Amino acid sequence: MSSYSIGISGLSAAQKALDIVGNNIANAATDGYHRQRIELTPAYASQIGSLFLGGGVDIAGVTRMVDNFIEQEILRQQSSLGQVSKELAMLRTIENLFGELTASDALSTTIDKFFNALQDLCTDPTEITWQSEVITAAETMAGQFRTLGQFLTGLESQITLEAENAIGRVNALINQIAGLNDDIEKIEIRGGKANNLCDQRDQCVIELSELIGIETQTREHGVVDVSIGPIPVVVGSTIIELEVGLDENNRLGISPAGASNYNTDMQGGQLGGLLSLKNKLISEIRDDLDNLAGVIIQEMNQYHVQGVGSSGSFTELTGWVNASEDLSDFSTVSAGYAYIRVTNTSSGAVSRTAIPVLQDDSSDTLTEIASFIDGADVANVSATVNSSNQLIILADEGYKFDFLPAVLPEPEPTPKTLTGTDPPIITVSGIYTGTTNSVFTCTVADGGAGDNKIGVTDGLKLQVSKDGEWVKDLYVGLGYAAGDRLDLGDGLYISLSIDVNNDKTAGDLRNGDNFAVKAWADTDTSGVLAAVGINTFFSGSSALDIAVCSNISSSPGRIATALGPDMTDNTNAQRMAGLKDESVSGLSGLTPGQFYHRLVTTIGQHVLVKQMREDNIAVVLKNLANQQSDISGVNINDEAAQMLVFEQMFQAMAKYLSTVQSLMSSLMELV
Amino acid sequence: MSGTLSSIYNNVSFALNLQMEAMARLQEQASTGSRINRASDDPSTAFRVLGLNSQQRSLENYMDNLSQAISILDLSSHVLEGQGGMIQALVTAKTSLTQVTGGIFAEDPEGRETITRGINEILEQIVSLANTKYTGHYVFGGSNSTSAPYVVQRTDGEITSVTYQGSYENRDVEVAPGMMTSVLYVGEDIFRSNNRGDPIFLGNTGAKPGTGTSSVRGDTWLTVTFNDVSGQYELSIDDGATKVAVPPGGDTNQAVTDSQTGRVLYVDSTQINSTGVEMVRVPGTYDVFNTLISIRDTLRKTDLPNADELQTNLLNSLDEVHKLLVQNTVVLGSKTGFLENLKDSLQKLKYDAEDEVTRLEEADIAQIAVDLSRYEVLYQMALLIAGKLMSMSLLDFIR
Repeated sequence: MSSYSIGISGLSAAQKALDIVGNNIANAATDGYHRQRIELTPAYASQIGSLFLGGGVDIAGVTRMVDNFIEQEILRQQSSLGQVSKELAMLRTIENLFGELTASDALSTTIDKFFNALQDLCTDPTEITWQSEVITAAETMAGQFRTLGQFLTGLESQITLEAENAIGRVNALINQIAGLNDDIEKIEIRGGKANNLCDQRDQCVIELSELIGIETQTREHGVVDVSIGPIPVVVGSTIIELEVGLDENNRLGISPAGASNYNTDMQGGQLGGLLSLKNKLISEIRDDLDNLAGVIIQEMNQYHVQGVGSSGSFTELTGWVNASEDLSDFSTVSAGYAYIRVTNTSSGAVSRTAIPVLQDDSSDTLTEIASFIDGADVANVSATVNSSNQLIILADEGYKFDFLPAVLPEPEPTPKTLTGTDPPIITVSGIYTGTTNSVFTCTVADGGAGDNKIGVTDGLKLQVSKDGEWVKDLYVGLGYAAGDRLDLGDGLYISLSIDVNNDKTAGDLRNGDNFAVKAWADTDTSGVLAAVGINTFFSGSSALDIAVCSNISSSPGRIATALGPDMTDNTNAQRMAGLKDESVSGLSGLTPGQFYHRLVTTIGQHVLVKQMREDNIAVVLKNLANQQSDISGVNINDEAAQMLVFEQMFQAMAKYLSTVQSLMSSLMELV
Repeated sequence: MSGTLSSIYNNVSFALNLQMEAMARLQEQASTGSRINRASDDPSTAFRVLGLNSQQRSLENYMDNLSQAISILDLSSHVLEGQGGMIQALVTAKTSLTQVTGGIFAEDPEGRETITRGINEILEQIVSLANTKYTGHYVFGGSNSTSAPYVVQRTDGEITSVTYQGSYENRDVEVAPGMMTSVLYVGEDIFRSNNRGDPIFLGNTGAKPGTGTSSVRGDTWLTVTFNDVSGQYELSIDDGATKVAVPPGGDTNQAVTDSQTGRVLYVDSTQINSTGVEMVRVPGTYDVFNTLISIRDTLRKTDLPNADELQTNLLNSLDEVHKLLVQNTVVLGSKTGFLENLKDSLQKLKYDAEDEVTRLEEADIAQIAVDLSRYEVLYQMALLIAGKLMSMSLLDFIR
């Protein structure tokens, strides 16, 4: 009766094979489905003598067509693609928001317009039109900085939120994988084949790899373990869930849930992209933007605090709100001096006093600075610090103050050695063009013994030295007309006149007489004024909070254009406008414009590189997918051919059984 | 086994995406006319374009500043040499003065007074010109453009002195990268000579120049009087406000100071032998205003013994300031010419920058059209093949 069993086994095998073909065709478009093949083996029946007779066909099993190497590579590439795509999408958004080369009011344009407006102001610093133009240009530029700064900050918040959502999906997939592992193991441990469950599990693994870079390891009974970075998130059916959060450096990281041990360097997948964007790409862009805004604020303010505008010196100045009053907390304040100039508005008498900053224990807080100004050292000016750590400086009635580096009309320091019977009046004028604070010392020489008269004594001269080094001789004897200006150097002039107001008729000098002229290039060597917001142009410290100080925007005449004693020059406006072409060490030795252009092109380069990377990975992935499809995919033609084979097999086996039946009938008729 | 359903789908969708992306890029280039619409299109070129755009804006600003500087300098030149300008006024003054020195009105008091009034009007005109404004700002006050640089003092309605109260700093403006130029000049540099010579005493008192360097400017009137009480001659250059006594035997270098200006005149008083008023002129120190004041006042002093000599010297003073203004006109003119040339150069630089940007950015429309049609063909081909492959299989032939 083996013929019957042979026929039945053939029919059964052909039917099962057709089922599998049908299943393959039905899943031809199912994501993650792996083509299945029936494994047939000849069935052993009996041995008769030396003959071994077959017993039909056995179904050895149904195999998933899988190439593990390709599957692993696809996971890896899928992960990279997820990361690059996420980075690319965000960077594209950033690039579009910067809007360079397309938008007419992009930041580069507003930076240029601001400095150009300052240059316009140089042509006429008292003209309200130019002053207003500077304010408008500055506010536009600051607004553009803030827009970009807020966008980047918003993007970082969005990234954190997106990462939280993604980690939720990761945890769900981890749970699914572990559950499927459990089911698969239970089936396969009993010798079964859990092909469809494996497909489902593998599809989850692929989805996981799109979210984050993973490592997988296949164990016996079809179980797959998954690791994310150093964390074994799935081991068989046990799991470790993950969470995202910010570490102490405000960097986004992934940690086992509840452990708060954030790994900020996870690679791969969308989460890898989000981490890379938050911790590196966007962070660098924002840092550069903040740095640029900070440098413009700092450099502008450093110049601005020392000048005055067309509205002249001040009766009151209030600094901005500070978090601390301890000067060591201000990164831009160093040991030095701020020099305050106080003018009697009636007599025009001017005095200058050095305010010590971080010189000792009594000059390291704002209150101590205010006390010094309030004290006897600085007459006719008072100062306080309020509860918001704002420094407030007030001039007494009839006085004004400023921090101008203008030379005082009389030589400094006040004690001078003029020993002649009727010494001349010495007047200093001009605007110092040097770059460091210096002292010009003038010493009378080459006169005779006793009094030597200016304009009379042949060869009488002033030996001029700058910071101790001789620079020139100025002849004030015969040939010098009293009252004429003499060029001291670096934009400064002195003149020696006869003191007619005191009924003098001569200007007498003696050999060795000397006087000093202090020339100021910087009246805030400590940086304290700019740091606490005294007479600053911009407020804030980064792209997020840069703004034109309200007292400047409401009173454009406060734009500090002048440095000279008559406050009509444009020297400070020139210095501020010159920042446009100034290489700044804080900007890697570039000008503000160049630094920004570099930032924009760096973003462009990032986009380009990511785009190329995405294109490359897409090609690799496509080829791998094709390769995988060759092995695991469903080819309709192939399945149709298989179907024909097994259909014919079925028909043949049916015919065979019919033949056997016929044989048996014939045999029965013989009986 | 190639030709599985998913691989066909993968290949087709990949190809279609590629063609679509390429066509979208080309379409953007065609619609904007620019092949670089964002930095990522070509970062290195974008860096250059950004720099060039910035340069263009900067050059435009420089040219605006230059235009303004040229306008101010044109106005300044016009004040000096234009119709009704200072030089023309000085020529008129000189003609009038020549009529006096030539004797036409020498003996005609009414004619002299007419000429004197004419000189006074010229003085008023010149002071007004020196306080010329450009868009509300004084052009000869140096960096102080908000207050009138020349302030006058009047007695009985007539100007008796003109004082410069502007700044001694020129208003410098950057007109090209790293190049500063003065736009608003210091009036004192334009209207006053600064080439001091030795004083010339024009009188009969016996006073001579002292050995020291005097600081008085232009014309100074030295008054020599005799003090009956002390029996000494006394010297004054401020109309007797302060007097200096001549010591017995005189002094070869006696300082006589002006109590108002603080200026000093060194006098050799050893040969003073009579009283009187003596004009002392210091060549190379004249300014336009005080010269005219001096001419006007001198013409009124009909009792001066050496009137002819004085008038001749007044002509010399007038010549000096006339020459000064002509020289400064040339300076202003050549500065204007230089700035015009500079503006042309900057304009050319700007055009060059624009050309360069266009060259770097501009899309090749013909090339784009060719590329677009190529990608269209490829796109259609991909669709067609996909349609064929998807629609045809062995199943079609199983009956």
